[in-house]
Amino acid sequence: MILVLCDDNDASALWAAESLERRGLAPAVLTGAHLAAADRWEHRVGRAPVECQIWFRDGGQLRSGDVRGVLNRLSTVPWTWQRQVGGPDRDYAIQEMYAFYLSWLHALPGPKLNPPTPQGLCGNPRHPSAWAALAARVGLAARPFRQTSEDEPDAIWRQAYTPGALTLYVVGTRVVGPPALVKIHREACLRLSCAADAPLLSVDFGQESEGDWRMTGVSIMPDLAKGGDELADALAAEFAP
Amino acid sequence: MILLGGIPSESPLAFLANALEERGADYRIFNQRQSSDCAIDLDIDSRGVTGELRFDGERFSLGEISGVYVRFMDDRLLPELDGEPDNSPLRRRTRALHDAIYRWIEVAEGKVVNRSDPQGSNGSKPYQAQLIARYGLRVPETLITNDPEAVLAFREAHGAIIYKSISSVRSIVKQLDDEDVTRLETIRWCPVQFQALVPGTDVRVHVIDQDVHATEIISDAVDYRYARRTGGSTALRATKLRDDLAERCVALTAGLGLAFAGIDLRIGPDGEATCFEVNPSPGYSYYEANAGQPIAASLARYLDEV
Repeated sequence: MILVLCDDNDASALWAAESLERRGLAPAVLTGAHLAAADRWEHRVGRAPVECQIWFRDGGQLRSGDVRGVLNRLSTVPWTWQRQVGGPDRDYAIQEMYAFYLSWLHALPGPKLNPPTPQGLCGNPRHPSAWAALAARVGLAARPFRQTSEDEPDAIWRQAYTPGALTLYVVGTRVVGPPALVKIHREACLRLSCAADAPLLSVDFGQESEGDWRMTGVSIMPDLAKGGDELADALAAEFAP
Repeated sequence: MILLGGIPSESPLAFLANALEERGADYRIFNQRQSSDCAIDLDIDSRGVTGELRFDGERFSLGEISGVYVRFMDDRLLPELDGEPDNSPLRRRTRALHDAIYRWIEVAEGKVVNRSDPQGSNGSKPYQAQLIARYGLRVPETLITNDPEAVLAFREAHGAIIYKSISSVRSIVKQLDDEDVTRLETIRWCPVQFQALVPGTDVRVHVIDQDVHATEIISDAVDYRYARRTGGSTALRATKLRDDLAERCVALTAGLGLAFAGIDLRIGPDGEATCFEVNPSPGYSYYEANAGQPIAASLARYLDEV
């Protein structure tokens, strides 16, 4: 089973699930709302292989051993569950649930786009400074980054969300997007994805005055639908049996 | 130059400063309580990471800082900000300074003890246990569930079991007793972590790069950190690990991306070690003060050696 995990109302994930289905795969979509409605969880870690079983109120079950790949767009502990929790222990309960989800997702077998990390359940949403440093390390041309002790931290994040003029998508070992840009930046984008341990990325580019295309931002939760059929083909290839 | 950051009187920072002093190392301490006198510029481009740090009337190029050890307290709780409104210029400036320093530390090209991202594995014990097992260390038999029946079956299978937090939020490890069983229904709203009680002797292992310092903990409490609170006692003494076990601890620390770690082991009657967790920011001074091991000296050597 290919699992498509996503937050509620993630249209991009639903587009990906339909695209995978049209390509002969049979993905199961599990939203945060579904997970919040789970009746029973059992997660075992020890000498035997790690396992997790979830029982749903409608009688359905999910065993980690039945999964052979995950399109993981679950960014955090489901909001539907968080809304049910109140009182003085609320923050503690959410941290506990996050720790639990991280362990469960890590234990799921097969390719994971993207693997969970302690910084984010669907990957590490790195700070723009970290992406800039990684880009420099792997030789990907990027706009210079600057932060000083006088800059509001939130403003630095906001700048990073300014979309670039063109976007490349990395899916495993494939890079899709405008062919001319792929030709220039394919290898460096693959190195970036590898260094970030994030097999699914969108890399935004802006054109400098001298005509060069430089990285302006990276997302581990791209709008997949914008990648079109080419991206859907790459996703299907990644999950092909 | 080696940069230490935090509150200078805090024991781990003070111990390290003494050890660096004894080595005659070139180091400075950035005292968080004097944040208003500190500034940083961070630049990243195709040449890498550059910039400048200014404090105590001195200026340092970020490239000349070869080692960093930080134990920052939450900057929002600094006594200097007491009474400051939530959004005051001083609060915002202090936050901006700390954010910029954190961002630099994450990408700094020198030795950093420890960067923030690799410390994250400690935020989920069962996740970290899966990483620990890759390095040939046994991890406790663990069940995380919201099903009381499953807990009872787990206790039946393992005899005595304990429960503790799943996340890094500190909790007192407690053995599940009959009184706890009467309120097991309350776990239905949020899964809880249960583990088979592992017999043996606790050993805290501090790994600094290739150096290993093991401290045996003799205690009559389930959780030695809280022995006094439960009417028990705790004593510490230096010990030595088997070579193969020490090598696994070194490999585990490096594998988690850490330069310095405090590893909690329990050595069973069969001589095998079970690993409970890896602390990425160990308050090592308690162990050094009570068992006399030169942990700060190892840390100073690591940071000072090119």
